[in-house]
Amino acid sequence: MRPRVVPFGEGALLVELGDEFQENVVGWARGIADTWETDFAFGPAVPAYTSALLRFDPLRIAPTEAEKFARELLPRGEIATIVGDRSRRAIEVPTAYDGPDLAETAERSQLSVEQLVALHAGREYTCYFLGFLPGFAYCGRLDPRIVAPRLERPRERVPAGSVAVADGQTAVYPLVSPGGWRLIGRTELTMFDPAAAEPARIRAGDRVRFVPL
Amino acid sequence: MIRISESGARSTVQDRGRFGHLRSGVPPAGAADPFALAAANALVGNDADAAGIEIIGPPFRFTCDDSRVVAVAGRDVSLATRTRLPGWSSVFVRAGQIVTVHSGERTRFAYLAVSGGIATPVLLGSRATYLPAGLGAALRAGDTLPLGDSGSGAEDAGRHTEPAAYEGQVRAMAGPHDHRFEPDVVAQFFDATFVIDAASDRQGIRLGGVPIAPRAGELQSCGIIAGAVQVPRGGAPIVLLADHQTTGGYPVIATVIAADLGKVAQRVPGESLRFYRVERDEALDALRAERRALDGARISA
Repeated sequence: MRPRVVPFGEGALLVELGDEFQENVVGWARGIADTWETDFAFGPAVPAYTSALLRFDPLRIAPTEAEKFARELLPRGEIATIVGDRSRRAIEVPTAYDGPDLAETAERSQLSVEQLVALHAGREYTCYFLGFLPGFAYCGRLDPRIVAPRLERPRERVPAGSVAVADGQTAVYPLVSPGGWRLIGRTELTMFDPAAAEPARIRAGDRVRFVPL
Repeated sequence: MIRISESGARSTVQDRGRFGHLRSGVPPAGAADPFALAAANALVGNDADAAGIEIIGPPFRFTCDDSRVVAVAGRDVSLATRTRLPGWSSVFVRAGQIVTVHSGERTRFAYLAVSGGIATPVLLGSRATYLPAGLGAALRAGDTLPLGDSGSGAEDAGRHTEPAAYEGQVRAMAGPHDHRFEPDVVAQFFDATFVIDAASDRQGIRLGGVPIAPRAGELQSCGIIAGAVQVPRGGAPIVLLADHQTTGGYPVIATVIAADLGKVAQRVPGESLRFYRVERDEALDALRAERRALDGARISA
């Protein structure tokens, strides 16, 4: 797919850079969001794996004008990288592997529970971005042998501290929330503290490892 | 100070929302029906970013320590002092005078604005309450909240503005992921009559009645906004509201225009909802009309 800019309501644009996850595209999306927020100062932006949501006030900047600026960012290519400019902290997440979807996810992946835990805890992940909930850090990539599509009907209540997997990603639910990821474990670690100087435990770029209890 | 003697089922301080921490995953929060809060603020002479009180399940009863101009807005709302006063109107209240916010059967959110604004501490750049993350708290009987300086007086009371239209179809633009659905599925979406599910809250309104065939395959999570209509794999769409997550992994078939967010937010479980497809120019016209209405309602403090 060619990179493109599509309207998201009248006051936002979605820059889509691709369909497939690629490490350099994460950095590209973040660079576009940075430029939109700091250089253009049009409004907040939310980068994700392969896209950047760009918000603006449509009564202040005509949407067609905003689109023009957004398109100008596309040929710049990868203007930020996920690794390098900031120190990557190593975060360890002590995890009890006893989630309600653990057995089903193992079965779906044609693995034993022990094998699934070993695969999940056996690699270091990178936090690509935060989203969905305060302090919710999207980490990847999951071992491709773990097969975990999102739930068909999201749960209305996922407990805080749930360690979850979905579509090649893993994360910890920092708060009680509805959610569609498969729950394989839980941690006691506080992932979001609104009173802390840096409220989110994990930040984009950090290296994350899950340690079985 | 405003002193709360009856707090309704759930009441929170809300403003236009917290947009400075989206990248840390902090939802915007703010009023679920943004136009109603904006109108209440305008009627009492407050700035557009002033905080008011969002009330779920009135009655909500309060007094102020000094004289203030107050207004309530929302679907089917009114105020009572000694007499019953209509919503969407500014009312002068004396120090200590007991005021009650009332609502009808079809009220989901009522918005109370007090001249000077609710002056609770600003957290991460906003006064909007977001309960799941401990940003602010649900209001309770016996609570007192600080108020800002009021520039309004008795002469500013009695103003009225036309209540928002809460009935009828909800205008929405297709996309941003409409091209990922079969064309006839998008047509079916704009044709369908949905029913509001009881499992709806400030995060989103769940729509039942007509399942929408989801697209095959997975989508990478992307940033999302209030008004986005997500289609999870089960096919029951969710319209996102103020407490929505900052990113989501379900395809967004359509986006409710900003001017019609309140129309979605204020539907009660069991009511029906139909979408009406518009293009971006119509969404902008509706937003401009809303802005003109607010300018007309605003008293110059």
